[in-house]
Amino acid sequence: MKTILEGSQACAEAVRLARVQVVSAYPITPQTHIVEELAKFCSDGSLNGRFLCVESEHSAMAAVIGAAAGGVRTFTASSSQGLALMHEMLHWAAGGRLPIVMAEVNRALGPGWNLWADQTDSLAQRDTGWIQLYCADGQEVLDTTLQAYRLAEAVNLPVMVILDAFFLSHTWEPVDLPAQEEVDQFLPPYAPRFRMDTDHPQSLHGVAPIGVYMEMRRSMQLAMEAVPELLERIEEEFFARFGRRYGPVEPYLCDDADVILVTSGTAAGTARVVVDQLRAEGQKAGLLRIRMFRPFPVRSVHEVLKSALKVAVLDRNCSFGAGGIFASELRSALQGGNPVPVYSYIAGLGGRDITVETIRDCFALTRGTDRPAIESVWLGVKEELLK
Amino acid sequence: MKEFRFHGRGGQGTVLASIALAKAFFQAGYWVQTFPVFGSERRGAPVEAYLRLETTKIYLRSNIYEPDHVIVQDARLINLVDVTKGLKSGGWILLNAPGLPADLAPFQGFKLACVDAAHIALEHGLGAKNQPITNTAMMGAFARLFSNPPLEAVVEAIESEMPIKISENVAAARAAYEAVVLHGQVNGSELLPSAGPIFRKAVS
Amino acid sequence: MTPQDAKLPLLPLFMPISSAPTSANRTGSWSSRQPRYVEKTAPCSVHCPCGEDIPRIEMLAVRGEYAQAWRTIMTENPLPGCCGRVCFHPCEGGCNRAQFDAPVAINALERFLDDQAGEGPLPAELRPAPASGRRIAIAGSGPAGLAAAWFLARLGHECEIFEAAPEPGGLLRYGIPAYRLPAAVLDREIGRIRELGVRIHSSMALDEELLGKTRSRYDAIFIACGNGRGLGLDIPGGDLAIDGLAFLRAVRSGGLKTRPADESGPRSAAVIGGGNTAIDVARTLLRLGIAPTILYRRRREEMPAFSHEIDSALAEGVNLVELSAPLAIRHDSQAFTLTLQKMRISEPGADGRMRVVPVEGETREMNFGAVYAAVGVRAEEPWRSLAGAEGALRLSHTLLLPESPTGLPVLLGGDLVNEVESVADAIASGKEAAIALDLLFREGCGAITPGLERCRIGAGPSLSMEIYQGGPRRSRSQRIVRYDDLNPDHFTAAPPERGDSLPSAAAAGSFAEIEAALTADRALEQAGRCFNCGICNDCDNCRTFCPEAAVLLELRNSSRSDPERRITYDFCKGCGVCLTECPRCAMEMEEAAS
Repeated sequence: MKTILEGSQACAEAVRLARVQVVSAYPITPQTHIVEELAKFCSDGSLNGRFLCVESEHSAMAAVIGAAAGGVRTFTASSSQGLALMHEMLHWAAGGRLPIVMAEVNRALGPGWNLWADQTDSLAQRDTGWIQLYCADGQEVLDTTLQAYRLAEAVNLPVMVILDAFFLSHTWEPVDLPAQEEVDQFLPPYAPRFRMDTDHPQSLHGVAPIGVYMEMRRSMQLAMEAVPELLERIEEEFFARFGRRYGPVEPYLCDDADVILVTSGTAAGTARVVVDQLRAEGQKAGLLRIRMFRPFPVRSVHEVLKSALKVAVLDRNCSFGAGGIFASELRSALQGGNPVPVYSYIAGLGGRDITVETIRDCFALTRGTDRPAIESVWLGVKEELLK
Repeated sequence: MKEFRFHGRGGQGTVLASIALAKAFFQAGYWVQTFPVFGSERRGAPVEAYLRLETTKIYLRSNIYEPDHVIVQDARLINLVDVTKGLKSGGWILLNAPGLPADLAPFQGFKLACVDAAHIALEHGLGAKNQPITNTAMMGAFARLFSNPPLEAVVEAIESEMPIKISENVAAARAAYEAVVLHGQVNGSELLPSAGPIFRKAVS
Repeated sequence: MTPQDAKLPLLPLFMPISSAPTSANRTGSWSSRQPRYVEKTAPCSVHCPCGEDIPRIEMLAVRGEYAQAWRTIMTENPLPGCCGRVCFHPCEGGCNRAQFDAPVAINALERFLDDQAGEGPLPAELRPAPASGRRIAIAGSGPAGLAAAWFLARLGHECEIFEAAPEPGGLLRYGIPAYRLPAAVLDREIGRIRELGVRIHSSMALDEELLGKTRSRYDAIFIACGNGRGLGLDIPGGDLAIDGLAFLRAVRSGGLKTRPADESGPRSAAVIGGGNTAIDVARTLLRLGIAPTILYRRRREEMPAFSHEIDSALAEGVNLVELSAPLAIRHDSQAFTLTLQKMRISEPGADGRMRVVPVEGETREMNFGAVYAAVGVRAEEPWRSLAGAEGALRLSHTLLLPESPTGLPVLLGGDLVNEVESVADAIASGKEAAIALDLLFREGCGAITPGLERCRIGAGPSLSMEIYQGGPRRSRSQRIVRYDDLNPDHFTAAPPERGDSLPSAAAAGSFAEIEAALTADRALEQAGRCFNCGICNDCDNCRTFCPEAAVLLELRNSSRSDPERRITYDFCKGCGVCLTECPRCAMEMEEAAS
């Protein structure tokens, strides 16, 4: 049933459809609408789950870790500083091989305080062992959340479903809400491979001496390496049932493109409009949206970018001292692939709008510059404030 | 694509109106996208919301800088906010005002429609004298001005969205639908009569 | 697509999970010392003349096991209803909690427990041992005589009590006003003692004549007839003063009632003395509509009466004149005139109390409608003379005459011999007499002193019948728990709360009981304040805090509600965390045998 939903609602509806048993979260703008909706579902019975109120994000993650260790399907959501506070527990969830799904609404980190879209918060957690999926619209938020449970439970790694603050979390648009029976067919009840059970005592997440720790980490890496293929199979099933698929990356008019813009999140929607404009103007522009950041989809990127002449990366984030994070990752991923020059751009930090003009600038600068600059190029910065 | 900008004050239901209208348009076969301009919310402070309409999926995710039309929930906002900023030439301004404003200077080059939504809201028991809840009346006027969404789709959206006083809100929308006055294009001190725009029929 | 297609391949999962126990590593072999559960002696029970097992009583009360708590009291004290009202509660003076916030209201809890559980027939564990064939005559049915009968009867010995007054109870009945101890409470406790088969002969004093006739019936005599006779005032006109004790006796016997103020009779009275009797006389006079003035030769702080009783008397309106010694009493048709010598403080005497000396030439006169004397008491003849008999053995609360002029072993107890003349000390002497006689009968005279020493609480002098009878309390260490032995981190401050008192103005107008009982909620709070010094109350801290999980909880008697802790020395490293975290010093560390 197609209906008008806010991005946050699309996420909450997916959690309801996934029959999540334990939700624990601590409110933070712009994640609030997701957990408010879930608290409502838990209280009115439309979701047969427990909502655990806690005193911090660290505790929220700890609570879902405990619940997941008990063998139930879990969910939490956070943003920005809240996600940063969870950091230690994120490692625990992944190292504990718990298939927790979390919605992460990309918001800038303070100070200065800023409520608006910025990916640095989630990207700062890239080494925690969480699978990261960046969404572009409300439908994708719903679909990705459902797929995330299949994926997480298949590889025993947690998944972060990531959406831009406001541009996605607070935007209302048509979303196809699948029927519960259909979702139940796609996503059967969680069958944990291990769980805390007082009738069969065991120690979970205890000491890993030198003799086994490295193997445990290797096991996590192997699980990550299996994700692209598993995601593809899950998406095939999803497509067969619901008629939609996304892939780890989403190319648009890339086959014959000479300049391809790589970006993620909602900026990709606006970029698609620009690519249409440029094509209409006779330019061979293409767009590659990276949906899966962890594991980084190296093979897919090689394939899509194999014949591009120039690649521009638009990052709504910054690793200070290194620049755009997607650009860094892409440059690294392209080793052994097409040795195409990668132009790195940073725009839209702290909710500054990424407009059609911003993206046109990306294409124009890339096309008009022979070699990429060593440092990332910042677009739309008021230079006069920095003098 | 048609782009609308809503101006209101925190507490007037401006965002709710944009969502309800989006739902009504969706029922009428349009692809819609609506989102508030999110800031530090405070009752009485100016707020804005955007609404995009298209016959196909909307990919564009940036803010609206050059709206086709604007909706102003409170005439006194004109002194606080530049409500015509970026408004396309010849675009409509739907204004909640008791009558035609004495000073037409802010509206030069645009088309003006007025409805006494505050009065209608109070007549239907919506809000208090200093804080009438005008959003549903403005939705009725919107439906009449733009011939879309159909009034019955607006009524349906109000019925599904409004948490309380549903029949009063529906009645206010219907009353404003009848009461809105399309003054036409402001040209100096003159008003050139103009019919409301009629949107393309949606492609399903 | 069918649900079967939804199956995805399972990846190898190598992660920190283990069901292998760590018990293979017997880390306890590292240890050089081992903690043990060793229960110790609480200071309150040392201070209690009756040696009640107070920490255990309060622990049982907290659990709502009122009947068991009451039986634990009755093991050591047959008069909890009386003591819960009139005892001067030295237990609270020894309470470790005083150093934390304020002592536990032990006295009020004793009364509460008797109110809750004192009804009904005696439980089996308090019933008498098989009859020994011995028979004891007891002179006096005050607290000492009643207690001696209770304990002797439980040890299997037949007892007969001889009481000169028409009804049993002695000082409890005739010396303590009803507003402090209602007669019904006393009657119930005496009834329980009778339930053991004890016969009480009222209006029958055990005098020489009676003894002469019946001596062959008995194996021993316990004399606890108290100091029933007031000392007279040895001053000119001293015989004009009414004996305070006789006055109290008359009131309790029903000879005097509350009187409307407009009736004829004295409007004011002087009460000479500073002890509890003086206070009781003054407060009783107040209830009879007479304005009392206590005249005392020293100051308030030297008065031997219990401080809280003095406070209540003054609050009710009793007048106190300090440093005034009577020199003479005159009587004319109008009034009694007292000549009073003004005194002054000189220096502390041997007992630590300040001495007073007359201020030369400073006398004055005061007029009253009546004069009462409460300056001291003595025993009736001839028992006083026995105290000085040859070969007497002084025990802590009794005097034993193995060969008395009567031809039978005689023990003197109660106020006749006690340094502290209190109900609790009287009960203590009854208990000591019972144990001493039992030892005498069983093992002879030489066994008495060592036998008593084995039953002392801490260093003594209080005795425990439970220990004498070989109960679990026998295994408790005599070491007394000090406040420094406790871990107060596990306690939270909560002030004591007693039963409500009648407002002083209302109390002064009637003989109704002043102190109300604790409510159940307050009693529970109060019992919960008890640190349970030295005994395990199953708080489980040892198990909770043990870093080696070496404290095991095992079910005792296959009862889920009665768990027992055991330390497994296979894993205990002797770190001592359990001792540190035991809030109440119920554990000890011992060097392990090498």
